[in-house]
Amino acid sequence: MSELLVIIQIAGRRCALSAHDVKSVIEIGTITPVPRAPDFIAGITALRSQALTVIDCRRALGLGAGDKPTDDRAAVVASGGHAYALMVDAIEDITTATSEAGQVPGGFGPEWSRVARGMIETMTGPALLIDLAALIAGPDAVRSEIEAAA
Amino acid sequence: MDDLLAEFIAETREMLEASGGEIVAWEADPGDRARLDTIFRFVHTVKGNCGFFDFPRLASLSHAAEDALADCRAGRREPDRALVSAVLAIIDRIAHMVDAIEAGEEFPEGGDEALIAALDAAPEAADTTETPLHAPASALIERGEDAAGPATRRADNLAAQRTIRLPVELLDRVMSGVSDMVLARNDLAHRLRQAGNQPTIDGPFERLTAILSDVRDAITRMRMQRIETLFGALPRLVRDLSAELGKQVMVDLDGGDVELDREMIETIRDPLTHLIRNAIDHGIEAPAARLASGKREIGMLAIAARQSGNTIAIVIRDDGRGLDEERISAKAIATGLITPAERAAMSRDKLVNLIFEPGFSTAETVSSVSGRGVGLDVVRQNLEKVGGSIKVSSVPGEGTQFTLQIPLTLSIIAGLTVEVGTQRFAIPQGYVEEIVQASPEALELTRMGETALITFRGNRIPCLMLADVLGLEGRDARRDLTLVLLRLASGDLFALVVERIHSHGDLVVKPLAPAVMKSGLYAGSTLLDDGQPVLLLDVTNIAALHDLVSDGRSRVLQPLDDEAAGPVAAAPRAMLFADFAGRRMAVRLELVQRIETASASAIDRSAARPRVVIEGQILPLVGLPDTPLASDKLRLLRLGDGACELLHAVRAVEDAVELTEALVAVPEDPLIEAMTLVDGQPVALIDAHELFARHGEAPLAAPGARPRCALPDSDWARTILAPLVTAAGYDIVIGDSTDSDVVTILSEDVFEAAEALGRVPVGPVIRLRDHPEDRTGGATIYRYDRDGLLAALAAARHARIAGGLRP
Repeated sequence: MSELLVIIQIAGRRCALSAHDVKSVIEIGTITPVPRAPDFIAGITALRSQALTVIDCRRALGLGAGDKPTDDRAAVVASGGHAYALMVDAIEDITTATSEAGQVPGGFGPEWSRVARGMIETMTGPALLIDLAALIAGPDAVRSEIEAAA
Repeated sequence: MDDLLAEFIAETREMLEASGGEIVAWEADPGDRARLDTIFRFVHTVKGNCGFFDFPRLASLSHAAEDALADCRAGRREPDRALVSAVLAIIDRIAHMVDAIEAGEEFPEGGDEALIAALDAAPEAADTTETPLHAPASALIERGEDAAGPATRRADNLAAQRTIRLPVELLDRVMSGVSDMVLARNDLAHRLRQAGNQPTIDGPFERLTAILSDVRDAITRMRMQRIETLFGALPRLVRDLSAELGKQVMVDLDGGDVELDREMIETIRDPLTHLIRNAIDHGIEAPAARLASGKREIGMLAIAARQSGNTIAIVIRDDGRGLDEERISAKAIATGLITPAERAAMSRDKLVNLIFEPGFSTAETVSSVSGRGVGLDVVRQNLEKVGGSIKVSSVPGEGTQFTLQIPLTLSIIAGLTVEVGTQRFAIPQGYVEEIVQASPEALELTRMGETALITFRGNRIPCLMLADVLGLEGRDARRDLTLVLLRLASGDLFALVVERIHSHGDLVVKPLAPAVMKSGLYAGSTLLDDGQPVLLLDVTNIAALHDLVSDGRSRVLQPLDDEAAGPVAAAPRAMLFADFAGRRMAVRLELVQRIETASASAIDRSAARPRVVIEGQILPLVGLPDTPLASDKLRLLRLGDGACELLHAVRAVEDAVELTEALVAVPEDPLIEAMTLVDGQPVALIDAHELFARHGEAPLAAPGARPRCALPDSDWARTILAPLVTAAGYDIVIGDSTDSDVVTILSEDVFEAAEALGRVPVGPVIRLRDHPEDRTGGATIYRYDRDGLLAALAAARHARIAGGLRP
């Protein structure tokens, strides 16, 4: 209930990450592109002596790059033993959840449903709670799963 | 010694050490309940552990002590000094026995009963006991001299036993922490270089570097595990397998003390098991068949590990029937790996190595032991994944030998950094066979359909453009090509066209996120000195993606070099180039470390001999034209004799050639070893001995390792003198120095004062005078005599180098 959340914006939507997952917020320096990697991987960047994989969250949702600029800060998260930097529209605030994540009638739309754990009420209004692993897996993950199942 | 037994001894020791303080305290106050409990626990544990081993004496001693102490704990008996003495005597005895067990010695008979009796007799004998039964408790703890027991303790033995057990995760965290520290240090080094010389920071920084490299060595050793841990399970495996298959096999293990990265041991566990299964199932014959062919009934399986440099070789040899050439070739032809014509041209050695090709398995019947669908191709694949290789050789009727080559460690590898587009990438050094720089015409770059081929030393070699592989904007291909020739573990050679070669060095490789790994092009990432992340190319996979990995077919198309090289190998190879005087010259290829390109600004002609700065090192430069350079880039050959390096300026690098024609000595020119003909044209071969004798000097690393020069602490010295001294290749130290390595520059009057006081600096001294005219007969230099100063500094430095080279 009183889980701490980091509120971010992706493609103009208010989203929430569990503060437990967010290691730090950094200024993004030079990003080294990774040729032939999926397009949602913006590249790798150095945090102190670590290499972070930079995820373009809009593309990771499968929404396309959009024309709005992204925040020059990125949220550093860890998933599956690897560290990632999330490129988002904006990093807003840290707040407290006031409800459990729940579904809304009509759903969130296919792209969002894939990465959303549900809507969560916070002290500063509702936000979409993001499933980090699903976001980082990228838009192709579902497709390949379906292919594998078929 | 048995692992379990070692554990028992270590644990008993640990407890003895930990309860040492308790024993002393209990002796002082036998009524102390907490101490009593501790000592009770100790004898209780020893008694319990003895149950696993056959140590009746240890068991009866600890049992008796436990009984007596249990009585005290239950309040049936009051602990008095006599009881304490008796218990301590038993503990003492236990310690000695453990020592004897460890040393594998027999503990002298007798004496136990007296000790046990002392426990019971204690109440009555309490007042009469004059001589203590046990050594003073303090002696027991210090483990110094032996006072009571017949066995003597061995101090060195104890020191070796000081080990602790750690969770593996903690170890991993420390390791990755140290890797990070190395990277952070590299970053800091880069920034310090940018900020220029700062003597106050450089000193501590050098120290940090040295400490860090020590720590890294220690950590690397922590990662290491004896291959014994892997070998330990093999005798049992061999026994079970041979019993199952009705064969008799003896296993001979050698080199168990070779150490290997923990992760690497896990990686080779399955391949090794697989090969052993194969050897017993297919290699070694049934006893009757062995006897029939005049062999011993019992088959021999020898497994040996050897370390050579940065790799470990593991050899698995059996004395079985050997690989069946005919069956392999029949199978290879049947599966379309080779054609009958190719088969006819193949040597046995090449043929047997086909068994590593995908989908190849000669076992006609799938037994429960081997041949369960996992072929040798998987074994090879797994080894190649970690940069290893495997090959097989076999003599019919005599046996088969598999040789595995594996790198020592996974996470720190030597790598080469290359540039393409505007991006840098790293290539594991192990694959790099050679670096070539030449024009497309010289390499006969041709495109066969979609595939590019180059011709190098008479072989057509497939060629990949790294820019194309990565989908980057490449450069115009009409200019000179920089090729990295890569030799895959399978023996295949291919060329990778890059735009620039940057540097090579140790790379700390970090894993990449799964989504990046999926591209199949990268094996990891690493950070360069300047903190930029760089992707490490997965060479094997890139080759596989472009169908460059041998599938038997491609292997026969190209002459395998060990066959092609045969008679020609004796001819010396040389690098052919044109010098600035327009002559065609050659230098023996073994001397050529690399081809460098330097900008004209990196060349320093201030001293008597020109020098050039390459990657932060100041190296001697020969072969420069007397006239100013026409272009701002200069092509250089980096020559090395193992200890010193120097650079030879060249107008154009032509090619590496074999000197097949006769070498004609040229006594009149000491710098020329011989003249010879290459393609009918005369070529002068440089005399390397003379060249290094005249110009060679050990490389002087940029800050830190450079010679130091102490300057007077004055504004004039700092602003006018210091830059000149720095330019001459010195690091500046302000003020006095007591180090004999340091060249000291002093004004004449200060020197005289110091001389009068008997405090002349220990190192070489350069004395400056304020007036142009010399009144000291050459012992001083006018302070604005630039040439004189440089000459003196150069002389001092050469004296230092000469001194440094003395053993």
